[in-house]
Amino acid sequence: MLVVKHLTKKYKNVVAVNDLSFTVNEGKIFGLLGPNGAGKTTTIRTVLNIIKPTSGEISFFNRSISSDFFNQIGYLPEERGLYKKSRVNEVILYFAVLKNMPRSEAQKQSNYWLSKLELEKYRNNRIEELSRGNQQKVQFITSVIHNPRLLILDEPFSGFDPINQQIIRETILSFVNEGKLIILSTHLMDMAEKMCSDILLLNSGKEVCSGPLSQLKKNFGGNVVELGFEGNNELIKNLSYVKAIDNYNNYAEVQLADSIEPYIFLRDIAGKIKINHFRIIEPTLNKIFIDMIKQST
Amino acid sequence: MIKKVFEISKWEFLEKVRTRAFILSLIITPALVILISIGGTFLSASQEESTKAIGILDSSMTFYPSLSKILENYKLSNGQPAYIVLNLFQPAEDLNQNMKSADNEVTGGILAGYLLLQIKDNDSINAEYRSKNAGNFKDVQRIENAIEEVRLRISLIQIGINPDLIKSAVKKINVSEITVKEGKEAQKSDFLTDFLSSIIFIMLLLMMIIYSGQMLVRSLVEEKSNRLIEILVSSCTPEELMAGKIIGLSALGLFQMLIWACIGMALAGSSMIPVSAFNNILIMLVYFVLGFLFYTALFVGIGSIVTTEQEAQQITSYLSLILVLPIAVSATAISNPDSVFVQVLSYIPLTIPAVMLLKINVVNVSTIEIMSTILIMIASIYITIFVASKIFRIGILSYGKKPGFKELISWIREK
Repeated sequence: MLVVKHLTKKYKNVVAVNDLSFTVNEGKIFGLLGPNGAGKTTTIRTVLNIIKPTSGEISFFNRSISSDFFNQIGYLPEERGLYKKSRVNEVILYFAVLKNMPRSEAQKQSNYWLSKLELEKYRNNRIEELSRGNQQKVQFITSVIHNPRLLILDEPFSGFDPINQQIIRETILSFVNEGKLIILSTHLMDMAEKMCSDILLLNSGKEVCSGPLSQLKKNFGGNVVELGFEGNNELIKNLSYVKAIDNYNNYAEVQLADSIEPYIFLRDIAGKIKINHFRIIEPTLNKIFIDMIKQST
Repeated sequence: MIKKVFEISKWEFLEKVRTRAFILSLIITPALVILISIGGTFLSASQEESTKAIGILDSSMTFYPSLSKILENYKLSNGQPAYIVLNLFQPAEDLNQNMKSADNEVTGGILAGYLLLQIKDNDSINAEYRSKNAGNFKDVQRIENAIEEVRLRISLIQIGINPDLIKSAVKKINVSEITVKEGKEAQKSDFLTDFLSSIIFIMLLLMMIIYSGQMLVRSLVEEKSNRLIEILVSSCTPEELMAGKIIGLSALGLFQMLIWACIGMALAGSSMIPVSAFNNILIMLVYFVLGFLFYTALFVGIGSIVTTEQEAQQITSYLSLILVLPIAVSATAISNPDSVFVQVLSYIPLTIPAVMLLKINVVNVSTIEIMSTILIMIASIYITIFVASKIFRIGILSYGKKPGFKELISWIREK
């Protein structure tokens, strides 16, 4: 269990992170979300023990983090890049032995991962000779080869085609089953929505909302219906209890006032426009993100 | 923890030793140095190989007879006299006319040069060696010695000492001077080769420092730009990372030197490089290693604060300029090693290695000076590494604008 309490990091005249508290549990994916410059990287860096917080505590299984902690952590930074002139297998081994893995064990794991991610035939190629996607896979291996207990993934899916995205996603999910702690930072809200069980939404260094995703959705005014229709949407807009409408020509997400049951809305529009489908929906994480960030700024 | 430092240095070493640029530098640098030294020995040899005609224009005629005798005593390696000395003084003409015709003979190539001696009222001597090409150290040095000797003899006469006594007395001085010279010549060493061999070592040091410094800064910038540095410092402490880099690079430098030394020994065996270049090899090696470590630590500290390749190049070229300074003052350092300027330079950590490499082959450097400069170097290496590690820790994680001096100080102070 990773527990962060009242984390604050100040730079000369900027407060990058302001009084942040959260807990990451075993076998759970923790989504660290927020717009660019929200303080996600600073938070990650303090958890990684790369920078010291101005105040606050970070503990990992009841021990405050120190350099002993290095070997139990795996980190995939958002900006990718490896030693371009070096060979795939050597780069993987270098990062593995830096995590205190014995060389023979590192070689075994390297073989395992190279074959799992279908990179076997490139093992002796230089990094620069690989396609971008394959380079990303090599980097993914370097962050997980030492079997870390805590894995911090910053935009793990960027640069992957759908097939590789699926491979990476399945790999991450297998880590969940192994009981690892995973912090996932991403701008892909649909991906976060499907994978994360807990969320922390940041803006300008401050917590906007946090908690289990299911709870969040319930709290976030769930009175939204999805509507496929033909006709004039002016009618919907003019209904007094329609709080917001997210309109895509012949498709709309309509948020109703909390007191209005969706069937009342259906009754009011029935017969006036042609309805192709009607569904009561929970807010997407994407919507929660956009609305919450807008509210907080 | 030591294990991680070892792994990092091993990686840094292997990564760089296999680059094409490094392998090229292994060959190109010694080739360049050999070219220079061959050029130098060739130059000094060709000057030696033929007898030179030298004129003396001494209107008082008090110096000419003894001077010419002394100069004509110098022999070439083949036994021929080194100089033929001509009297250029024509009593019928005035001094200006005398000089004009003498100058003509020099420009016309009849004379290699001539010595103009003027005795001033207060008994001081004004001596000029006028030749087509300036900078013939050896000739000028011999002429200076000869004048000094003759002047001594004349002033003895003036005091009123028996000429016979003077002769034997002066002769004694003469004899001892010659033995010193012969002793040196037995080692096949002379001023020019001393100078050249020192310059060779400084150039080697320079090239190594500049080359490896650039390599270090470039790889740091690369690691910063693709955030590899963050993965590294989430696997080990910045201190370990820095130590690994310095050790790896130093190992690379030593390896480079080992190869160059092998090439050097082989060439010295075939007498392409003066053997005297290796006289003080051990002590030179010490300065070499210390200088290399010092600059490497400096490069690590500075390299960690730059973000772009461009800035990196700017900074490495500034540092290289400081390194070149000793070469620029090398002539002064050798002709006048006790001057205040050179003394000061030989106690500044930035210039100690180069200046000492220069001095040690040319003049007798006292043990105290050697010990104290080595101590200064060790202390400054320690301090530099300490300060660099403080800067490194923060520098590697900051991007964009270069920090100002004030900001750097706050980085160093930060716990």
